[in-house]
Amino acid sequence: MVAPPDNDVLWARDLHHMHGGTTALTGVSLGVREGEIVAVTGPRGSGKTTLLHCLSGQIVPTEGEVWFNGASVHTLSSPSRERLRLDRFGWIDTEPHLVPELTAWENAALPLLLRGAGHRSAKNTAVEWLDRLDVGMCARRRPARLDQSQLQRVAIARALATTPQVLFADEPTAPLHSADGTQVLRTLTTAARSHQITVILATYDPQVAALADRALSLLDGRLSGAVPATADSSDEESRAACSLSV
Amino acid sequence: MLALRLARGSHPLVLLRRLFVTAASAGTGFLLLSALGHAAGHPTTAGDSLTRLLWCAAPLAATAQLAVSVARTDPAARLQRGMTAAGLGPLRLTLLAAASTALSCVLGVLLSLLVFLHLRGDLGGSTADSAHSDLLGSGHPVPLAGSVMLLAAVPLAAAAATAVSLRPRNDAGYADSEAHSTAAPTGLPWGVALTAAGLAIEAYTSPATDTHGGKLPLPGQLIGSAPGVLAGWALASFGLVLAGPGLVHLSGQLLCAGRPGALRLLSGRVLQEESHRLGRPLGVLCAVASGTYAAVTVYGTAPSHPVGPLTTIGTSVIFACVTASALAAALESRSARARTTAALRRLGAPVSVLHRATALRALALTLVLGPLTWTVAEMATFPLVH
Repeated sequence: MVAPPDNDVLWARDLHHMHGGTTALTGVSLGVREGEIVAVTGPRGSGKTTLLHCLSGQIVPTEGEVWFNGASVHTLSSPSRERLRLDRFGWIDTEPHLVPELTAWENAALPLLLRGAGHRSAKNTAVEWLDRLDVGMCARRRPARLDQSQLQRVAIARALATTPQVLFADEPTAPLHSADGTQVLRTLTTAARSHQITVILATYDPQVAALADRALSLLDGRLSGAVPATADSSDEESRAACSLSV
Repeated sequence: MLALRLARGSHPLVLLRRLFVTAASAGTGFLLLSALGHAAGHPTTAGDSLTRLLWCAAPLAATAQLAVSVARTDPAARLQRGMTAAGLGPLRLTLLAAASTALSCVLGVLLSLLVFLHLRGDLGGSTADSAHSDLLGSGHPVPLAGSVMLLAAVPLAAAAATAVSLRPRNDAGYADSEAHSTAAPTGLPWGVALTAAGLAIEAYTSPATDTHGGKLPLPGQLIGSAPGVLAGWALASFGLVLAGPGLVHLSGQLLCAGRPGALRLLSGRVLQEESHRLGRPLGVLCAVASGTYAAVTVYGTAPSHPVGPLTTIGTSVIFACVTASALAAALESRSARARTTAALRRLGAPVSVLHRATALRALALTLVLGPLTWTVAEMATFPLVH
């Protein structure tokens, strides 16, 4: 077992994963530095979600290692991985998946409450983040009475309220209209940069990837190369993806 | 045929639930047949036989309720999108659920017919002991067409109830029900009023103990008992059923009162939200529990009237059905919340918190509904015993 480089907050080596009989990941290695925003791009079914699940400790890869802050994640027991997710990681899903019974602020405060924070302080933090994400006016409403973009903003507030060390976002803008999506994503990256939060963002949209510090592209469970998001090669890649999908 | 094919490939747990419906319908079928047998054996007391038949309505209703609850937890009902892709629309899916229910029930009533004929000695062999032969009317031929017609009531009632409860609702109706589900249930005041009125009617019309011997209007002794007592009981039970959702909602409200932490917040709010799903079956369970408690108490004070085997069968069918329905409703609510639970787990909510939230919900329900049921039962027995 090789110890990971010191400057990487999250580090994975040679990840392999099988879903039933299907191969989802084959030999993926990557390192993420503290405060970095990394986009993982690729079409549907390329293994983005599985990679995020492996990195965040939701599943243990069939083969390979995951290290966080110099400690191995893949060898931890299931309760310790849960604890790690609650204490250090944030998660934003494609769908908001808010708890329908709770109001918006209660949803945003839930991870804080689960960590054992007091009612009042959790509420203050949650409402503050809702305000920052422009959904402060619907803090007392139930999810059933919010629209899609408001729901997703509340989900982002829920992930950011704990100021996690690493934030995983799995296609967070997929259910939104493009204008909404861009705005939500800008808010997310700005908040992450100002709070030194490391973000790993899975997306199929090359434009979204442009907001990140660097982009990794996945195809059929393989990493097909790390590229700077601003370089022309990302355009070429998207063209290649288009021609493939036709 | 598709219903049969789906039943063949289903999970053992699903089959077990179906088997429960089969067992319940077998019990109900047997009670119906014994009413018929009684009528054949005692042609002179037609009124008595009719009363026995009418009493079968209670287990029949309980069986139908169980069938509906089981059909709602059925995975086939949740595979709607896959079934739509295969060309099976919502309407035909409902019919499929009804057919599946009818299938389990038909199996059950056929079983009961076999047992009934065997006990009467119609299938050859000797008749069982004389007590049974009197109850089932051995030696007097039972019309086969009549018994089949009577038995058909069980699968028909269950299938109809399933079809009505799972009928496809249009989009507007769906949105309506969704908006409604966040509001508190409104049945609580009505339920309380009806229960109180029922208890009052019962107290007012119940005969003095010394003239009547504390007789209870159960199948063996129904003739001659005051109809007011029965009506009062029915009204009180109906009130409890009506108050069910409101009571569950109230328990949830009490759970997350004040400044709740994550545990109380999750358990309380979920209970409030699920009151629409859980309230009815729990209300029925409370009503049956209070009725049984009252019946046992009254029988205990009047030892001259022993409980007959048919009453025992009927009571156990009803009790098993309503308990299983409440459990099935809990199961349904769990599967409806599976996505939310998965999302909570992704956030890193420990399993122990979710389990403790469930336990807390169960505790709150027991603490609210238990004493209430006991009180209603005590008040219902009071005028009959003292």
